[in-house]
Amino acid sequence: MELAIEIENLCKSYPGRMALDNISFSVKKGSIHGFLGPNGAGKSTTMKILSGLIPETSGRFTVNGKVGFLPEHPPVYPNMSVYDYLKFVFSIYAGAVNESRIDEVMSKTGLTDVRSRLIGNLSKGYQQRVGIAQAIIHSPEIIILDEPTVGLDPVAIADIRSLILELKKEHTVLFSSHQLHDVELLCSDITLINRGEIVVSGAIETILGSLKTNMVLKARVQNFSDEQKKKLMNSFAIDAVDVAHDIEQKNTQLKIATKGKADIRAELTRFLVAPEIGLLEFTEERGDLEDLFKRIHE
Amino acid sequence: MIYTKKVMILARKELKDSFSSPLIYVLCGLFSLMMGWLFFNYLIQSTQMTTTTMTQGVITPIFGNINFIFVFLCPLITMRSFAEEKRQFTLDLLLRSDLTEMQIILGKFISNVAMVLFMLSLTLLFPLILSFSGYSDWGVVWSSYLGIVLSVMAYTAVGLFCSSLTDNQIVASLLTFCILLGSMLMVISVNATNNYLLALIVQYTTIPFHYEGFTRGVLKSYSFVYFICYLVFFFLLTLKSLQSRKW
Repeated sequence: MELAIEIENLCKSYPGRMALDNISFSVKKGSIHGFLGPNGAGKSTTMKILSGLIPETSGRFTVNGKVGFLPEHPPVYPNMSVYDYLKFVFSIYAGAVNESRIDEVMSKTGLTDVRSRLIGNLSKGYQQRVGIAQAIIHSPEIIILDEPTVGLDPVAIADIRSLILELKKEHTVLFSSHQLHDVELLCSDITLINRGEIVVSGAIETILGSLKTNMVLKARVQNFSDEQKKKLMNSFAIDAVDVAHDIEQKNTQLKIATKGKADIRAELTRFLVAPEIGLLEFTEERGDLEDLFKRIHE
Repeated sequence: MIYTKKVMILARKELKDSFSSPLIYVLCGLFSLMMGWLFFNYLIQSTQMTTTTMTQGVITPIFGNINFIFVFLCPLITMRSFAEEKRQFTLDLLLRSDLTEMQIILGKFISNVAMVLFMLSLTLLFPLILSFSGYSDWGVVWSSYLGIVLSVMAYTAVGLFCSSLTDNQIVASLLTFCILLGSMLMVISVNATNNYLLALIVQYTTIPFHYEGFTRGVLKSYSFVYFICYLVFFFLLTLKSLQSRKW
């Protein structure tokens, strides 16, 4: 597997404080990698080191390719027009202006309509897009985005999300976010950091899978009596069954927590599909990142 | 070639930025009002003084005043250079780009000097008016202008350095002003010493001492050396200040 970013034992200390303590992780080429952690965990520091803005105290990192970086605050000049700004950013990288590239980036980031407006007059969502545009304008292989969706409305967040997915086709993306929902939707891998130390890093499925100690299954059935509940409890290794009658929909919702890690889904469905119960829906409740976040804090 | 091209990209952007903000126009208005008034006064006075020439009565004092006023105005022009970039988080953008720190400094320097020269160009009206009255001592006028240009370059270099130290524009301008005025006052304070050699050395380190030669039409080679050293010294200080974020 080709790696885009490789970090080994990276440390960063400020006087009297260790911002990063021996962190190591890697980002696969062509992936979207989520970088999570509470405020002040060291996410921005890591990203600044990777983009070359501040030096590391010790350790080693390799970045295979040019880096485009969107810091926490988009680095824009409020009294420049979008087009002039992108032209300027392009020329301080390349030394010459390639107008077709600027048009291409503007249409990719949805800025064509506002090309001649002053950046200071744009909404926060558009300013963020301008920030992303400046990060990709010099065609970097790797894009680092520091909280690209913070402070935006739900529509703007959805736009930025689809933009990031779009970027995946040509670039490797490393981005940090508090929006756990975003991360679950976008990322194939995640790294979790807390107080300058890596908590866990790897494929999102593996991490979420390892979170589960038992399985929680949700089912919706037509009828469910106390007798059937007893029968269910006796015939399977079940911790608890929560029965709730849904009066509106005239059916019953079950929440079944299993004992241990054994997969009993097949047997359970066979039981529930009986004519007197009548299975309508059956899903597995996945452990999500919110659990993970809560666990770090504990 | 590419080196200067990138410097000019930044300088052009800075100039466009500055000329689209009201500050420069306010300063220009203030400056021409003050200078026009002073010029008028000197001109009226010189008609009553029969013993002094036009050069002694008008040109020399007016250039002395221009130089003094730029000690106040240059800090106001240079204060935003780095302080504003830091506040907008755009300095990181420049530092991450292919521009070297020195290119950034030179780009900002060129744009700031260009702005000051734009203000200075408003005073070209004075020699024009004098030429109608048959004034002919042009050597002094042009050497005075050369002196002013070199002085404002030095002021701008100090201003850039102070602006790179802070993200507060007011602090940057006050600091520049203090350094410039402090170095001017050094000329006066050497009066207190009886040590001739010390007085000469201290005098040599101040801008007014060198500028004064230019206003008399005397071009001294060591004055050019002084101004070049002054610029290089403050460029290096600014460079160190920009690099200090990596310490």
